[in-house]
Parts: sequence; C-alpha cells; structure tokens
Amino acid sequence: MAPTIQLPPTPLEQFTLANGLRVVLSQDNVVPVVSIAVYYDVGSRNEKEGRTGFAHLFEHMMFQGSENVPKAAHFQYIFNAGGTMNGTTSTERTNYFETLPANYLPLAFWLESDRMRSLKVTQENLDNQRNAVQEEKRLRYDNQPYVNAFLRMNELIFTNQANAHSTIGSMEDLDAATIADVQEFFRIYYAPNNAVISVVGDFDKGQARELIEKYFGNIPAQQTPPPVDVSETNDVAIKNETFYDPLAPAPAFVLGWKIPARRTRDFYALSLAGSLLFDGDSSRLYQKFVKGDESVVSIEGGVDERRGPSAFYIFALPKPGEEISDIQAKIFAEIKALAKEPPSADEMEKLRNSLANDSVRGRQSTMYRAQRLAEYTLYDSQPGLFDTEVDQYLSITAQEISAAVARYVDVENRVVLDIIPASVEESETEQAASPQPPGEPNQPTSPAPQIPEVPPSEPESPRHTDVAQIKPGTPSEQPKDPAEVPQQTGSGPVL
Amino acid sequence: MSQQENFRTQPPPPLAPRPITIPTPHETVLANGLTVVVVEDKRLPLVSYRLALAVGGAYDPPTLPGLTDLLAGLLPEGTESRTSRQIADAVARMGASLSAGANSDYTIVAASALSHFSDDVLELMADVILNPSFPENEVDLARQNTKESLRQQRAQPSFLASEMVARVMFGDHPYSVVAPTPESIDRSTRDEFVKFHRQKFAPNNAVFIVVGDVKFETIVARLEALFSGWERGEKLAPNFPAPPVRTRRQAYLIDRPGSAQSNIVIANSGIVRTNPDYFPMLLMHTVLGATASSRLFMNLREEKGYTYGAYSNLDARRSAGTFRATAEVRSVVTGDSLKEFFFELDRIRNDKVSEKEIADAKSYLTGVFPVRLETQEGLIDQLVQIKMLNLPNQYLETYRDNVQAVTIEQIQRVAQEYVKPDQAALVVVGDGASVLDQIKPYCADIETFNTAGKLKASEGSAPTEVTGSWTINVDTPLGQSIPATLTIERANGILSGKISSDMGNANLGEIKLESNSFQAQTSIEMDGHAVAAEIAAQFDGETLMGTLKLRHSPPLSFRGEKAS
Repeated sequence: MAPTIQLPPTPLEQFTLANGLRVVLSQDNVVPVVSIAVYYDVGSRNEKEGRTGFAHLFEHMMFQGSENVPKAAHFQYIFNAGGTMNGTTSTERTNYFETLPANYLPLAFWLESDRMRSLKVTQENLDNQRNAVQEEKRLRYDNQPYVNAFLRMNELIFTNQANAHSTIGSMEDLDAATIADVQEFFRIYYAPNNAVISVVGDFDKGQARELIEKYFGNIPAQQTPPPVDVSETNDVAIKNETFYDPLAPAPAFVLGWKIPARRTRDFYALSLAGSLLFDGDSSRLYQKFVKGDESVVSIEGGVDERRGPSAFYIFALPKPGEEISDIQAKIFAEIKALAKEPPSADEMEKLRNSLANDSVRGRQSTMYRAQRLAEYTLYDSQPGLFDTEVDQYLSITAQEISAAVARYVDVENRVVLDIIPASVEESETEQAASPQPPGEPNQPTSPAPQIPEVPPSEPESPRHTDVAQIKPGTPSEQPKDPAEVPQQTGSGPVL
Repeated sequence: MSQQENFRTQPPPPLAPRPITIPTPHETVLANGLTVVVVEDKRLPLVSYRLALAVGGAYDPPTLPGLTDLLAGLLPEGTESRTSRQIADAVARMGASLSAGANSDYTIVAASALSHFSDDVLELMADVILNPSFPENEVDLARQNTKESLRQQRAQPSFLASEMVARVMFGDHPYSVVAPTPESIDRSTRDEFVKFHRQKFAPNNAVFIVVGDVKFETIVARLEALFSGWERGEKLAPNFPAPPVRTRRQAYLIDRPGSAQSNIVIANSGIVRTNPDYFPMLLMHTVLGATASSRLFMNLREEKGYTYGAYSNLDARRSAGTFRATAEVRSVVTGDSLKEFFFELDRIRNDKVSEKEIADAKSYLTGVFPVRLETQEGLIDQLVQIKMLNLPNQYLETYRDNVQAVTIEQIQRVAQEYVKPDQAALVVVGDGASVLDQIKPYCADIETFNTAGKLKASEGSAPTEVTGSWTINVDTPLGQSIPATLTIERANGILSGKISSDMGNANLGEIKLESNSFQAQTSIEMDGHAVAAEIAAQFDGETLMGTLKLRHSPPLSFRGEKAS
C-alpha cells in the first residue's frame, strides 16, 4: 500500500559567477513570496585550537552594519518590507536567510551583497558582539540543564578537535579574539568563492540573474580557504563519564556513537534505524519506556549529520526512583534486537511513507527549499539531490538497517554519559579534571528547570527548516493574525 | 566609491507588486448541521484536515477546569475499535499525522497525509472524533502527565504571570482560568469525559475544513458517509459574565524569591475579535510592540538593554480580550523598565504616530500576509479562525485593504480608548524583596502573592504563632515529595530552629520573622558536602507554604501544616 509519489522535478538553474559565487535559482510563481539563502562554507569544523567560537561570533558580526547598511538596520529593512529573517551556525556552515514579498527581491540582494563585500569589522562591533555572544552562552547553555552535558558528549565521541568542540566555543577563546583575527577570518571565509546563494519563489529567472550579477559580480574572489581535516579514528574518545550538572533537576543520561558521514549507505541505514527507535509515538523506545514500563519521562534521539564522521545519540530522562543502569541495559537490548532481527515489513512501510510524506510536505515552503538547495550545492555541488536523495533512503533494505546497527551501534565502542544533579562546588572540582570545561559556573539564581527538550546536537544550529514545523499542531491560546509568521526554531543572532 | 557603484548607497526600490491569488474556499452544510469548507490545492499530492469545534476551555464545567483540553488529548488514545497503540501505528504507517488540542474558544482535531492516504487518515480521524472510548489506563496516564506538566509550569514565571493576568482581567468570565488544578485533574474521571463528549461534541457546533489535493464533490460525499450519523446537539450560545471594569491602576506582585528576572505585564481590557476597531488596534499594536522593530523593542532592548525582548500583545478572542505590554527584565532594572513602559504607553496615546511608522507597519502586515498562506497548514489555520471567531468569509480577501485603510487618527483614537495606563493591571513576577520598592513609584496599590497565587497576609492581620513543629513536604521538580519537619523555638525572644528529614538535621540561622513571613539560612548535607540553603515560608494559621533554595539550584516549593 506504499504509494509511488511522482513529483515534478524541482526547476533548477545553476551557475557560477566569475568570482566563484555559486548560484541556484528555482522559480515557482504560485505564491508571491521569495526566499533567499546565503551559505558560507565555514563552521566550527574550520576553527583552530584556541580560536573556538569564531564562526558563530562572526555570524553576529554580520548584522553589525556594512558600508551602506547601518548597524542593526538589516532586520529593520527586512521587517519593514514584510519579511522574516535569521541566521545560524553549525559545525558545517554558517547560513543567512530571509523570506520577502516577491517584489522585494532586490532588497535582499542589496543587503546580502553589501555585507559580503564591505562588512564593518571594527573593534567596537567586535567588543559589542563578543558580549552579546557571551550573554547568549550564559542564557542558552550555561544556565540550562543538560545542554552543556550534550556539548561534552561531542568531546567524548570525537577524537579530532575539529569535530569535538562546540560551535559556541569557549569564553577564553572568545576573549582572545583580536580585530586582526576577525578581519582575516572574514577575508578568507566570507569570500564569494566560498559561498552559495539560492533563490526560490516568485521571480523572473532572467531578471534575478541580472540582479545577482549586478550586486555580487564585482566582489573580489579570495584565495581558497585552507583544507579541513575532519578524519577520525574508529574508536570514540572516552567511553564513560559522569557529568555533574548544577542545573539538572534529576539524573539523566546520554548515549552516543560515532557513525559514518552523510550520504553513505550506512549513514542512510542508521538514520532510518534512528527513526524506528525514537521518532514519534509509535517508535520502539517510546512504546517500551514511556508507555509500557512507564519508567522514563521522555526518551529521544537524533542523528548529527555531517560531511565527515557523524554521530548518533539517545537521551533519556528517567522517572524519579527508577534504576538508571536497568534502563540503559534495556535500551542496549532494544538495540541488539534491531541488530539481530531486521525491521518488519510494517516498519519498513512506515519508514517509506514518512520519508515520502516529509519530502512532499517540506516542498510547500520556499524557505525550506532555498535552504536545502543551498546546502546540497555547498556540500555536493548537486542541488538536484533535493529531489533525488530520498531515493537513496528508499533503496535501503531491512537487512541493511540491521547490519548497520550491528556494525556501528550494537557495539561496545560507544559513550555512556551519566548526568548527575550537583551543587556547583562539586561540578567545579569535577570539571577541573576534564580536558575542556564545558563552560562557566551556572548563575546562582536560575529559573527552575523544565523537563528539557532533547538538547540538539548543536544547540545553536538547526540544520534547516524543520519539516515538523510545518506539520499541524494544536491551537494556540490566542487567535493569530494572518500577519503573524510561525516562529523559527533554534536561534538566530538577534531575535 | 566608483561611479557605477552608486546603486549601493540606497536600498533599491521594490519591483512591481505581484498579484496574490487568495484561495477560494467552497462551503456547504451537511444535513446534521456540520459546516464543510474545502480549498482545492493541487500543487502537491498532500491533504490537510481540521475539525474545529466551537467548544473550548471556556465551556469547562466550573468544577473541572482543564477538562476540554484533557479530553482533546485523549481522543487519539483509544476508540471503540482501536487501541492507542493501534492508532499510533496506523498513523505512522501512513507517514501521516493526527493530533488534537483545545484553547479557551475551540477544540481542534488535525490530520494530514499524502493524498494517497487521504481516505484512510480521514476514516481514522472520524473514528477518534466520534467514537473515543477514553480507556481507564490512558485516562490515568494522561492525568499523571498533566499533573507533572502543571508542576513544571508553576516553576515558570511566565506561567505565573499569565495566570495572574487572566485572574485579575477576566474576573467571573471563564477566560480567568488558564490551567487545571491537581484537584480538578483528580475529579476528571472517565465518566466526565464520556458525558462531556456526548453533550458538547455536536456537528452543529463544528466546522470540517479540508485543504489539499481533493475534489470538492468527492470529499463532501465522503464526509457525508462518515459523519451523517453524528447527531445534532444543543447549539451553544456563549453567555458568559462580563469581565470586570477597571477603574484604577493596581499592581499584583508575585513574590518569587531568588528570581533573576522580573516578568512584567501591563494589561488593559481589550476587544473581542469581531470588534470593528480590530484593524486600527492591529496597526497601533504593530507600531507599539508587535515586532522587533516596534517602539517597545527599540526602546527597552536596543536602546536601554534591559531585556532580550519587549513586546505588546493584542489578545482579541471570541468573547473578551486584553491588550498587554510585556517583557522579562533583569531584576535591578524593574523600575527603570516600568518607567519606559509607561513612557511608551503615554506616548502612543498622546502623540500621533509618524507617517513613516504607519507606512512601515502597513508594509509589514501586508507583506508577511502571503508568507502565512504559503503552506496548507498556514491557510487552514486562518480558515479555522475565520470560522471559530465568526469573522466574515471574505476576511482573507479584504485583509490587506483593511490594513491599508487605517489612518493615523484612528490609531490615536484606539490608543486613547484602549491603552489606559491609569486603569492598568500591573503584574510583576519577581524577587519581592528587591523589586517591591522599584514598583512603588509607579503604583501605590500593591498586593503581594506567593507563587501558589495566594495573597500574602497584609500587615496588621493576626500573626500566626510560629513556634512548634511543622510537618512539611518538599516538592522536587520531578514529582518526588520529600517529607521533613520544621521546628521553631523561641527563648528570651530569640528564635531558633532546625529542619529534619531522612537526610539529617540542619540548624537554622539568621532567622527573620516579619508579620507571617519567615526567612532563615541553613546548610544541608548532600552526598557528603554541606550546601548552603535558604528557607522562606509564609505562615497562615495552621498551614504554611514556602520555598527551600539550595545554593546554585532552583527553588523547591513546600507546603505543610502544624504538627499536632
């Protein structure tokens, strides 16, 4: 009963300017809006030791004004035109994006090109944004339960510093940033030859191309940025650790594994295995622990998709009084069962249908399309993967899922990170021994914690517009005016 | 700058506007009174459904607040022919989604799927709407989980603020209740759900909305087949007491000891959603505080740096409304923030907004409008509101014209009519000791509450005899309740005390007793370490409630009574 979805191919026009800027246009005149995404090939993976947090700090700098755009005017221009915007940083890239009424397309090109060619990297802006980033770190990382433990997880899984450190970086490194460092960072990484721009929606292809030539064409190219080494040993860095979390209201744990890079068959298989284990109310772990045993408050998981070695996680928040080692043993047993016995025909059908559903549903939004097209162009030089990558997922067999789980997840080569609520005195002692302290001590008067959402692998950076965002939900308390746009998930630099 | 680069000095003018095609809904009413609205959208092989029922939390039986929302959540948890698991599996197998929930005005059951499954998911949806069985085990789990989330919510200052705002602004009107109580959750038994569902879930109170790859005639025939057996019920006529009329400024301080921020809400009575003043109010709200380029944000965040964000809120619902200004600010700038809030509220009343401000606001509202209609979900949510809040059918078509028609004079008129700083309710959730004096210059009439929403005993009321033994239970955030005994003694006019539990005994120091408010310092053994702690309690006759705050941890609340 699985449907065959025949979708018309996404219209694509791809070209490269003389200065190396890669451009993807996808014209779709149904709704008079246009979405623009600019992706720079720089993320925390490019940061050197002692300079962590630079890529994200830079994302903030990009809203501080350029030759013709005053400080903080960027979002004023966008809002006053009836648009929405944001920017995010991940291990892999830094992105900036906006959706506007279609006739404001030139405004987006004007704003994006001005900061690409003439960003104001001044000491004042740097100091100001360094403070803003440090406040952000206090607010969203150091003052939240479980988040720093999650950042610690990456240091336990990955052996290569380029992969292991967080996008938010360390306070010390941020403090050490000099104006010369930042100017050099801008010159190398924010060059047109290191970027992709995608445009999706209601516009005229010919006109868009002319405008792009006009605004971006004479921004000078720079030398190719230094290559990145993200190679990893097979083994995780550290298998067991206890994280003393001063804000955690209750014990919890994270399990982590190192898995192959995106766009490999094993990665596809493991990503599907993850869906079976922890996606939604019908998933194996939800039914076993939340509904069946009623032993956990929540259990969630995720796959951190990277161009190099990637990661697979499970996070659980046990109910008070439950034996944690018991729950962990039962999770490992569930994993073993999946390694031993390929998923049933029903489960394979569920995977196929939710892949098809998500792939169709995501296409409704011009912003979702713009982000994915830019990403495929930046990573793979193949925007067409937007239409075809789903076929790779659909071609994975039940046996391949089990084999990949047996090889990468049902193994001793994994991390068990126990999170224990602690007073700050204890956590300071404990953290002094760890190679990278996960951050400043918490604020003494933090708000009472909630049961957390599963901390994202990089809390800073949703990879792209989440399909879940455009699924139906329950009504909000207050009626929405048509002009209220849905909130972006994750976080931007300014809003 | 080179000559050909002059185009960079100014933002480029927009291109010619592109026409927006507002989708055309087809509408019909089935024999049993169920209204059906369909938008054929063939762009993608996808369909979205909503059943919207004009019964929300406002219709909860007075003794059972939260019943409607709980009931909605239980609809997909079992029907006469399917278990919760079977429903979850069936939905997942189609890659579809199915969910339900309620707000104060209406209940929604939502589903969506690839159009290949449009029939199957619709059949499942009809089953959970018409035949929910409210299985005892699912009712139990839902009640446990709701109590758990209620406990979490009470720890959140934003929840405490909205609870107080609703209480003081809506009075006897049912919007005054925003959450169930542990007791009302206990009283929400399976029988109550069955009864409420039988009485209130009626087709003549509902609208079924479809957006997607469907044909109008086909889907209507299908809905006839699935829903024709659904019997008409009593037509609900909202007849709620009017919210109180406010005559003076009053402050309501919710004392949350140790709070790092003050959560400020300044509220006035507002309008219902169908009020003809809605569009002038919308423009006024956009200039004053709707976005990050509005006055409140520019002043309190960009200029002053008091907060991460300051906004206004136009809450216009079916039978009442409020207009509010809000921000979460650092405790030390609570008074400074109030000054800026009142400055902005006075300014929007006293001075006309500028030509540029009204133009920017119109440009924003009309520009963001089509983005909202880009997805099936965006469009269907608008159709739900049109139907549930009794807006005209051509609402979307005329929306941008209505925005454009608003004048500067109208904005000032509605500001003067609805923004009334002298009659506002000023709600602050924050550390009472540090913010009370900051509030006083802006309002002399201050009532102080604890985080349970109880009025703190005012000066002059009979002091409780606090000496003796008190049996208390300390709540942890995850639902544990730790029993302890608080003992207070008085010798030669000097208070001493201790707190005893399974974890040992701890003596109290620096005891302060003022009226019925008690405060002391102590030190508690945790895993072999001594951790500094502060205990604060409010005595009230034979009972007390308070908080225990371990250093560097969130406050834990407790309640208790005098040991006999």
